[in-house]
Amino acid sequence: MKRRKFLKSLLALLGSTTLISFAYPLVRFVAPPSRKSEVKRLSLQKNEIPSGEAREVVLNNTPAIIINRPGKGYIALSKVCTHLGCLVEYNKAKGELICPCHAGVFSLDGKVLSGPPPKPLSEFPLRVEGETILIG
Amino acid sequence: MWQRIKNGLEVRIGLEDLINTKLKNYTVPRNTNIFYTLGGVALVAFIIQAISGFFLLIYYVPHSEHAFRSVQYIMTVAPFGWLFRLMHVVGSNLLVAVIFLHMLSVFFMGSYKKPRELTWIVGWLMLLVTLTFCLSGYLLPWSQLSYWTTTVVTAMPTAFPYVGDYIANLLRGGEFVSGITLNRFFALHVAFLPPLLVGLMVIHVFLIRRIGLSSPPFDESAEEARPWTEYRHVSYPNGNSFYPYFVLKELYMVALYLVVMFFVITFLPTLFLPEASNIPANPLRTPAYIKPQWYFLAPYQMLKLIPNKFLGISMQIALIGTFLLWPFFDTKKERNILKRPLLLATFTASLLLWVVLTMWGRSS
Repeated sequence: MKRRKFLKSLLALLGSTTLISFAYPLVRFVAPPSRKSEVKRLSLQKNEIPSGEAREVVLNNTPAIIINRPGKGYIALSKVCTHLGCLVEYNKAKGELICPCHAGVFSLDGKVLSGPPPKPLSEFPLRVEGETILIG
Repeated sequence: MWQRIKNGLEVRIGLEDLINTKLKNYTVPRNTNIFYTLGGVALVAFIIQAISGFFLLIYYVPHSEHAFRSVQYIMTVAPFGWLFRLMHVVGSNLLVAVIFLHMLSVFFMGSYKKPRELTWIVGWLMLLVTLTFCLSGYLLPWSQLSYWTTTVVTAMPTAFPYVGDYIANLLRGGEFVSGITLNRFFALHVAFLPPLLVGLMVIHVFLIRRIGLSSPPFDESAEEARPWTEYRHVSYPNGNSFYPYFVLKELYMVALYLVVMFFVITFLPTLFLPEASNIPANPLRTPAYIKPQWYFLAPYQMLKLIPNKFLGISMQIALIGTFLLWPFFDTKKERNILKRPLLLATFTASLLLWVVLTMWGRSS
């Protein structure tokens, strides 16, 4: 191999190695930092949410809503619309959860009734023990 | 004094020769119309954005707890802060409008055709960078409007399987829009995007000067009939000189641009600042009737109408790709759109569709 060609190859090798060696730290640098959840579990008293009413909480860093559905009991749903991440609002009169951004409509079970959301609202585990509602 | 400076420059850099070769002897077609000035107007509009942005940086605090208050301070306390903020806000909207008009006129006059495909592509990339500027700047005031618009936009990549969530989280710096997102968008807005746009501008202007300005296709005599098989510079020996003829034309249009800008600032100051832009961001409440800026209303309405998220977003990406690579799809030599009824019909229909979707998005 001629000296000039060798030097060219060496420069290409060193240059690409330098570039590649920066790739990993760069990816790590811009990756989202891990965030600890402040509230993983929550307990409420049954009388805090009368029938037909709802209560908004933040659970596992996610805005959530606990609804006391008439005749069907309590349910804890994420408020984050599965379409593009806006927060759904509880419409008591219609008995629906409505997303104000792209008009997605969900039932009180979290199922999609109309609009562009691709999947139901995610549900948090919930159980009732005596007069206490345990969520998460 | 002025003469001494001129003489000094003449001796050192050959000023007169520079002015003659680059400005006076550089000719443009005789039949150029006002639409030819829109690129120059966009350049001046961008410079206004940069200067007003530099001044806003003096008071703006890029932190989720202070950003909204610092913007309110600029608007209500800082002397003439309202002027620089409104120039920046109104200017960004007008800049997008000017670029849209520029691209429409380039399309209408067939100026994207061989040998100017690269100029068109770089122009499109500049439009995309400008829209990214708008999006990243939109979050900075940390208002309800900023917060929720950014939430929707950064959620768009989630339509794509496997990598979508990772990309969305990378953009936001977490699962939701937060102070980390604000920092990222601030860095993007003031540090990453400006050199990128300036770089693209340099390439765009270089290509225009290197290839030569295209002539309007409606005058047959102005167009060269020879096929493009090798590089050659398009020149117009009987054309008008770039300076003073074309520069003055540009300056008239820049003056018109400033008239429109200051008319909006004076008589319609809230045109681009709806109510939700005056409410601090609340990550726990999406406001009703939130709408993006006018230039995103058409894609916003499309997303509303198409029931499948993946399909809706893929269609928008496909549309962008089609327009970006349009010169390679439309390879017919005829530049005059009036002689191509199918292209004219498609162009008019697309434009009408965009207007209808925009109006629909605004009213729905």
